[in-house]
Amino acid sequence: MSRMLTRKLLPVRNILPPVTKRTSHVHRQRYDVIVVGGGHAGTEAAAAAARVGAETLLVTQKTHTIGALSCNPSLGGVGKGHLVREIDALDGLCGRAGDWAGIHFSILNRRKGPAVWGPRAQLDRQRYREFIQAELLSTPRLEVLEGSVEELLVTDPNPEEPGRHRVTGIRLANGSRSISASSVVLTTGTFLSGSLFVGHTVSPGGRIGDAPSSSGLSQTLRERLGLRVGRLRTGTPPRVLKDSVDLSLAKLHPPDSHPTPFSFMNTRTRCKPEEQLPCYLTYTTPGVERVVRESLHLNCHIQQDAKGPRYCPSIESRVLRFPGRRHQVWLEPEGMTSDLLYPQGLSMTMPPDVQLRLIREIPAMHRAEIHTPGYGVQYDYVCPTQLSPALQVKNTQGLFLAGQINGTTGYEEAAAQGLWAGVNAARWARSLPPAVLSRTESYIGVLIDDLVSRGVNEPYRMFTSRAEFRTSLRPDNADLRLTLKGSLLGCVSSARRDEFLRVKLRLQDAEAALRALTLSPAGWRKMMPGISVSESKNGSLSGMDLLQYKDVSFEMLASLFPEQLSPHMEFSERLKIEAVYKPHCDLSKREVERIQKEENMSLPQDLDYFSLPVSLSKEVREILDRFRPSTLGAATRLEGMTPAAVVNLLNYVQIAERKERMMNRSNAGHQEGRGDDLCARNASLPQ
Amino acid sequence: MRVTVYLFSGRNVPLCRRLSSGDGVLAGLADADTIFALSSGHGRCGVAVVRISGPAATTALRCMVGLRKHLPPPRTALLRSITDPHSKEVLDRGLVLWFPAPHSFTGEDSVEFHIHGGPAVITAVLQALGSVPGMRPAEAGEFTRRAFHAGKLDLTEVEGLGDLIHAETEAQRRQALRQMSGDLGRLYQDWSHRLKRCLAHVEAFIDFSEDELIEDGVLDRVDISVCDLQAEINQHLKDERRGERLRSGVHVVIAGATNAGKSSLLNTLCQRPAAIVSPIAGTTRDVVETALDIGGFPVLLSDTAGLRDSPDLVEQEGVRRARERCLLVLNKTDLLPEAQREQLSLGLRGTSGLPPVCLISCQTSEGLKDFLTVCADPLSGAPTLTQARHRAHLQQCAAALAQYWRYRDSDLALAAEGVRLALTGLGRITGRVGAEEILDIIFKDFCIGK
Repeated sequence: MSRMLTRKLLPVRNILPPVTKRTSHVHRQRYDVIVVGGGHAGTEAAAAAARVGAETLLVTQKTHTIGALSCNPSLGGVGKGHLVREIDALDGLCGRAGDWAGIHFSILNRRKGPAVWGPRAQLDRQRYREFIQAELLSTPRLEVLEGSVEELLVTDPNPEEPGRHRVTGIRLANGSRSISASSVVLTTGTFLSGSLFVGHTVSPGGRIGDAPSSSGLSQTLRERLGLRVGRLRTGTPPRVLKDSVDLSLAKLHPPDSHPTPFSFMNTRTRCKPEEQLPCYLTYTTPGVERVVRESLHLNCHIQQDAKGPRYCPSIESRVLRFPGRRHQVWLEPEGMTSDLLYPQGLSMTMPPDVQLRLIREIPAMHRAEIHTPGYGVQYDYVCPTQLSPALQVKNTQGLFLAGQINGTTGYEEAAAQGLWAGVNAARWARSLPPAVLSRTESYIGVLIDDLVSRGVNEPYRMFTSRAEFRTSLRPDNADLRLTLKGSLLGCVSSARRDEFLRVKLRLQDAEAALRALTLSPAGWRKMMPGISVSESKNGSLSGMDLLQYKDVSFEMLASLFPEQLSPHMEFSERLKIEAVYKPHCDLSKREVERIQKEENMSLPQDLDYFSLPVSLSKEVREILDRFRPSTLGAATRLEGMTPAAVVNLLNYVQIAERKERMMNRSNAGHQEGRGDDLCARNASLPQ
Repeated sequence: MRVTVYLFSGRNVPLCRRLSSGDGVLAGLADADTIFALSSGHGRCGVAVVRISGPAATTALRCMVGLRKHLPPPRTALLRSITDPHSKEVLDRGLVLWFPAPHSFTGEDSVEFHIHGGPAVITAVLQALGSVPGMRPAEAGEFTRRAFHAGKLDLTEVEGLGDLIHAETEAQRRQALRQMSGDLGRLYQDWSHRLKRCLAHVEAFIDFSEDELIEDGVLDRVDISVCDLQAEINQHLKDERRGERLRSGVHVVIAGATNAGKSSLLNTLCQRPAAIVSPIAGTTRDVVETALDIGGFPVLLSDTAGLRDSPDLVEQEGVRRARERCLLVLNKTDLLPEAQREQLSLGLRGTSGLPPVCLISCQTSEGLKDFLTVCADPLSGAPTLTQARHRAHLQQCAAALAQYWRYRDSDLALAAEGVRLALTGLGRITGRVGAEEILDIIFKDFCIGK
């Protein structure tokens, strides 16, 4: 077991059960950052804010459910795995928690190229919760409070800055106690005006078994702050008793024989390779479709208009959209010792007795018993175009939103936003300029940019196809892309920073060693008879060049040059990937620079697009007014923008910048800095 | 960012401005002005079109064509007397058209006068318009610029329009019209649509296939599609730059052995004795140039001294290059008996590696019609490339598709990158394709869900 895991193993054992550590009173009257919600976004936000140095309070309805996996017992996948790796590179929790709780590891897309490999694991729910809770409770500067937030405290709009509120803290439900803070991060998930649907029954709430959140919060956001909200829906399948399922009728799906950890800090997972549990694959039958059709009139959720995710649809929408087909159903373990199975793909909202009838139409489940029925959730989300790239609400200083409240779906998407909102909430509390992640350097940047500049009209999930620089944003190099930046922000522990520096130096050494090995093409052919080495322009090829060949591995080169290369065996896979991808990444550099340049051209948030004295069509003015892009780059990516409009905006930005430069020049010496605006303009950190 | 926008005026003055972060950009216009200009070409012509655009366009209708009370029905030609607004003198009798905003070329209220083409009439009408309050003559390219700002034109259309205004000959006008009405646009849109599907299917295979139901045949279908697209784009690129030549005119050199009849051909083509012809080899000493219109092509025809074998290496290379892109003309067929001519014709057709061949006789004009068809019908067949910019992007596109094959079996992410780059290249002509569009296709074509 690796050094890190051993270290983490102890606190978990020591603090079980975590419920005993819950706090019912707070030690301070004022915090830098208050995080509301203890899901994936909330826990990452609280931990990140505390890491950056903020005195942080996490408020959640039940400390017991901190780190609960409300839906599927798995983490990662294609695109989502990329996010986990990036969160880990910034020292977030979920990667290490996944290594701790994983009971079935596999790399998806193994045959499709390292840029799209999808690290994924089935998780033990209990272990995941344990890890997150232990981690949070041992984080310095972080306190956890069990309670319900009744109201968000905000100031009246500042007359100097029209429409600008400032958050001052929260008021708790019981006893109307207020706690003040410079920043508040809301991560209320599906609890914002959430309704639960089972058959005809509709009850308020965001997750089964939990109390609904107070309506006060939702009211503050909508009425006090005037935020636009939309409604989305999602659902979860019934949990099935494992013993009641005939697994011999389903196809066994084994894990990878060598589990690959999510975290850059781990070389092994807690679960030993041979201890891993399998998944099972089975299919729907025409009977399933029949039951869905017969029960449509009993199904309230499915008849509503709220938008559900297209890629994680309920069995009802799958059958209705693609009739006459068999659909996959994965039977996934819920934990090492759990007696439940999670039927992935059977999310449903019909009455419980019909749910039972439906699953029994599948041969492997013909005698299955349901432990908890599936249900649907409808909830409000805040249209994320009202947020800045730091995930701060544009019209309310110090208020940050992360997770499903922003219209996303998925643990990883929530965790990624949580981490970044936490970092920025802490920076706001300490009067530091916002930190921005570019879409050219990370999936987290792609996620946030898509949200704040384009908005959502269905629950947003990450796909690798959303990242235009997919060849450089790979799971293998997330540390090289982000850890140094995280370290400069202060959200990376010294242990991780040291490990990162070690890896970076060793990788550089290894690359140098490969480049130093030069031979003529004929020389290489002699050494590696099986490889058809092509001629080169300057007459010689380096080991790095050779590594680009499909059939050449680092191990092969190391066996030919053991003296020079065997010290670098630790990085054989990373070196091979880097060699293959480097030429492609170099090609996209210019495009990256162009985007970064456009991202640096900020558009003032208070711009009145309707009276802007440039030639823009009414339609474009409306689009710009609605989305209020923060930068020219974001404006370019808006749907409905014409090339002419972009040119005109570019013109405007340049004239405005020129004016500002001239003003700054004439003001030089009189004035230091120009407040928020200038901060926003210089937001990106040193690259 | 670097965008090149070509703007053209009604007076055939090209106004090209390069837009980039460092250079000057288009200034916002005070669009309140009403502008007018002669929109048809200069010089003597049958009909001249005067175009007026802006809020005061209706004023022109009221005070110059006597439509005081009622505006005419939109987009309908009316025959009216056009009078001077002050002296009430009748300037001309012509057609008047009224295009209310936003359904006009510029998106603003517009009026067109179709008047007689004499310079005196045109000058009188323009002067009269200039005396109407709120009107001023248009600046170079201003109509197009207003149309562009009103979102009436995309970049391809602006370029096509530029060509239209520049069209000095019939074929150019036809090709420009084709591009505007979207022949080329349609072709590129079709490619773009197919590439989008290819990309969507590869992306679906990457983002979903392993644990969801994406049929295995998906990639095979993409293979076929990519293969077809590659062939079509390469074919299109191999159009020998006909479209580009159509825009700028073609330089044709008549070359050949001495006394082959080069000058006779020149004279026959321009239908006047432009060059001196004689049976004596080496009569032409200097290059004789004549501008011609062949099948709508602007052609600059040059008669040269005969080709000789030269010991000079540079000249040899020049001759070799000249032979690469040529049309083979065999003159003096009248001197051959019929049977031999047939034989020659058959033999030539059976020989591969030859350029297009024409058998003619300048003496009898036999075969001349075929010759003209072969040398100038750029409009037959597929639409042709009119912009060097398009060619560059299409070449990028074709090169990127090659990347798909290079990585098809070893790294699908890099193969997909090839398709994505191809789509980006094409998107520079047809408009950008966003990730959402790709996802839309994925969700339409596949049942994704777990």
